[in-house]
Amino acid sequence: MTAPSVPVLAYENVRKRFGSFTALNGVSLEVAHGEVVCLIGPSGSGKSTLLRCTNGLETIDGGRILLDGAPLPPDAAGMRRVRRRMGMVFQNFELFPHRTAIANVMSGPLTVLRMPRSEAEHRAETLLDKVGLADKAKSYPADLSGGQQQRVAIARALATEPEVMLFDEPTSALDPETIGEVLGVMKQLADEGMTMVVVTHEMTFARRVANRVAVLERGALVELGPPAQIFEQPQVARTRDFLSHLGWSG
Amino acid sequence: MTLDWAIVWENAGALARGAEITVLLAVATMLLAIPGGVLLALMRLSPVRPLALASAGFTEFFRNLPLLLVIYAAYYILPLTTGISFSPFATALVALALNVSAYNGETFRAGIQSIRKGQSEAALALGMSRAQVMREVVLPQAARRIAPVLASTWVSLFKDTSLVSVIAVGELAYTAMRIRSQSFRVLEMLTAMAAIYWALGYPQAKLTDWLYRRFGVRE
Repeated sequence: MTAPSVPVLAYENVRKRFGSFTALNGVSLEVAHGEVVCLIGPSGSGKSTLLRCTNGLETIDGGRILLDGAPLPPDAAGMRRVRRRMGMVFQNFELFPHRTAIANVMSGPLTVLRMPRSEAEHRAETLLDKVGLADKAKSYPADLSGGQQQRVAIARALATEPEVMLFDEPTSALDPETIGEVLGVMKQLADEGMTMVVVTHEMTFARRVANRVAVLERGALVELGPPAQIFEQPQVARTRDFLSHLGWSG
Repeated sequence: MTLDWAIVWENAGALARGAEITVLLAVATMLLAIPGGVLLALMRLSPVRPLALASAGFTEFFRNLPLLLVIYAAYYILPLTTGISFSPFATALVALALNVSAYNGETFRAGIQSIRKGQSEAALALGMSRAQVMREVVLPQAARRIAPVLASTWVSLFKDTSLVSVIAVGELAYTAMRIRSQSFRVLEMLTAMAAIYWALGYPQAKLTDWLYRRFGVRE
């Protein structure tokens, strides 16, 4: 990075333990403005934990995480202000089942930003349209397919106008035929310049959309580089092993 | 044996007034015991240990005492400890609310715990406070999930209000029993009482079934 700008996200030697299990063993990584970083690696490698530490759903045991150069605040009120600036999308969508699609998208603006209802509604309509679901505004989550639910969840996460989007295996719980529509929305976001950190098993997506790919194993970052390097000329044996286990032929 | 149903018609007004007090008592109890139950559940699930223990103590105390005993105790102890003489209605309301709050507390606790962690995390990730997560996301879903249990508590409560007749609250059971003891028309008054309780209770049970179908959340 030659730009003088501060990275949107910076992980400095981040450590996390669950009891005797070391989930993150000193991970350092910077995510620049507008960059898409995909985190890949075997299950239990710490990818999701790193993502969940980013917005404080998990606390860290060592190191620092900085948003726009400022360390994550230690207090709950400060953390809430930081979370508004990060959108998160979960593997199991986690839409609120008692609310319609549009009410789900309005949740953040109404409750967190205290936006007037009409304004929140307008923003939610725009976002649902963006993810191609304007006609499903009044539908409840139970009446939507997995892919549709995940697109509503993306709209909901975008509704507080975050600076960075965190995706935690957003397509892992989807039927194969609906994965494409979700990846399409994510690609569109990336093209618009959204800063994104994506935990994924979709190697094709990582290769096509990521600016850089980070390979994690046993809580450590084993290789970091542009997709062309990671998928075609991996420098580290463990990256090659992981990709060959997936049947990736390069 | 001859039955004289005239006694029922002659006392229709008194019985109607008794039924009205029964309904009023049940509604007032539930209006206190729902917030009471939510409060007990939130205290029980709180990380602050004294709060959790206080709630658990309250719940186990009132859940395991016979309601009749609580009613008598309230009648004798409340005026002694507070120095205020409560009306029989207020005394009955306190006793019923204590008992039903303890049950509702357990119901709400189960409901809150049944909402998966991911729902709270999604709400927290939007920037909501713990209180907002509870109010906006967890409680509305928990309330729908426990609606059938609350409904059955309501149906029990409606019938259990008859126990407060022992402290001379002029509700339906007390009124019917008073007329019985004055007229000696035992079978007629018991039949009338049964018919009124059933006629009031059955539509409530059906209504709660309907509410559940109407507002139940699918996942």
